[in-house]
Amino acid sequence: MSTETRRKIVDARGTYCPGPITELFKAYKESNDGDILELLATDPAAKSDVKAWTKKSGSEIIDIIEEEGHTRIIIKVKKAR
Amino acid sequence: MNSKNIVIIGSGTGGTLTANLLAKRLRKRIINQEIKLILLAENYGHYFQPASLDIAFKGANHRKFVKDEASLVRKEIRLMLERAVNIDLTNRTIDTDKERKVSYDYLVIATGAVAMPSSIPGLSEGSLNFHTSPEESAKIWKTLQKFERGRILIAIAGVPYKCPPSPNEAAFLIDEYFRKRGIRKNVEILFLTPYGRAYPSAAVSEVVDRLFQERGIEVVPYFNLESVDYALRKVYSYEGEEFRYDMLIAVPPHFGSPVIRASGIGDRDGWIPTNRTDMTIKSYDDAYAIGDATDIPISKSGVVAHLESVIVANNIFSEIEGMSEKYGYTGRINCPMEVGFGRAIFISGTYKSPPNPNNPSRIKYLMKRIFSKLYWNVLSGDLEWIFNLYFRDISYKTVRQGQYRHEAISEITKSSKTH
Repeated sequence: MSTETRRKIVDARGTYCPGPITELFKAYKESNDGDILELLATDPAAKSDVKAWTKKSGSEIIDIIEEEGHTRIIIKVKKAR
Repeated sequence: MNSKNIVIIGSGTGGTLTANLLAKRLRKRIINQEIKLILLAENYGHYFQPASLDIAFKGANHRKFVKDEASLVRKEIRLMLERAVNIDLTNRTIDTDKERKVSYDYLVIATGAVAMPSSIPGLSEGSLNFHTSPEESAKIWKTLQKFERGRILIAIAGVPYKCPPSPNEAAFLIDEYFRKRGIRKNVEILFLTPYGRAYPSAAVSEVVDRLFQERGIEVVPYFNLESVDYALRKVYSYEGEEFRYDMLIAVPPHFGSPVIRASGIGDRDGWIPTNRTDMTIKSYDDAYAIGDATDIPISKSGVVAHLESVIVANNIFSEIEGMSEKYGYTGRINCPMEVGFGRAIFISGTYKSPPNPNNPSRIKYLMKRIFSKLYWNVLSGDLEWIFNLYFRDISYKTVRQGQYRHEAISEITKSSKTH
């Protein structure tokens, strides 16, 4: 398995719950421990969903940036398995 | 005058209804050989998929829900029982498994979704499901009847999947089944979901979470299934949780049809990039995708396939007849969720309006049952007047000769100009 840290943009703009978290899960499953995922979402519920999920998964929110028309949530992946 | 070929790939709800709607409207042109309407059907049998719940959790006979596709399509349609193996959108051709090449002027892809338990280690061997076939659904009923005591896990093993309310319905119906047998106290029901609540939509989940609590169904949120150890009877999540089970009922991960992946016209999971309003495949104006086959982040359900069929059939008809009226899809969904004991809720919304919470009622359950009874007739296209009464104003946007009706928007206008 590669140990190189990867960064991936997950663009879920224009989708409502569960669109953003669904797109994030897809990227999470294919990522490695330590990878960075940047979720772009227009759905205001995305922030609270991602916060709750990171608490459970151990992944870490590095930053939440409000950009023009959407939110960018930057996540460092933690994988238990 | 050269005749035009309209080819529809896939004979589920979307493909069959689109074919029948076009056959009705283009009947004269088909008889005059100006149009050939071809339906490529992979299967002889047409299965009413919502029946899977009745088969798995109520013991319904699965043979009652399959009909011969040939009996469901109008005589104007050329039904070819051949499997598409390659679709070339640039050269407008389809290769079939009988080594035939079919060319088209208009193409509708309605190839659906495929549930694949084999995509997760141990899932095929360790679980039962009601998403792959009626025969697999029947195995659940057989197993439930022998089940006396222990833990049942209902796990959503991948998203998206067909019929979003179906895992919740499974939990409700299992609860009802064991209550009726008088042994509910011996059975623990856990609902494992990748989402943070019992149902993906927060508003609907308010109702479902409450009902689950009342029925003693425990929700395990943010559980993304990683593997199953069927020897130890345990499931494991990417998040690091594990659960033992006595019976595992899983919603397998779903993917687009093999022909989409083989043709390189879908995304990594085989979903076709589709414009969400006029249902054209992105970058093409002569090819459409409908139903489960698309990448549109919306319910993969029969109602969606139905509404999209109406839009595509209308728009192809309009083009052929040189008419300016075009329809666009508003993202309307309308999924009933059975909550046990003869009651149901409805999950309705559009792209712009997420679903609202509503309380379970007997009438909603009866509406679901009535629709099931009407299904085979609905496929003929003869009952569209009923759907128009119920759905039309909130399901379709219309533009006609520049005069907008409902909420027709620029996407439709743009689409009309490119044709």
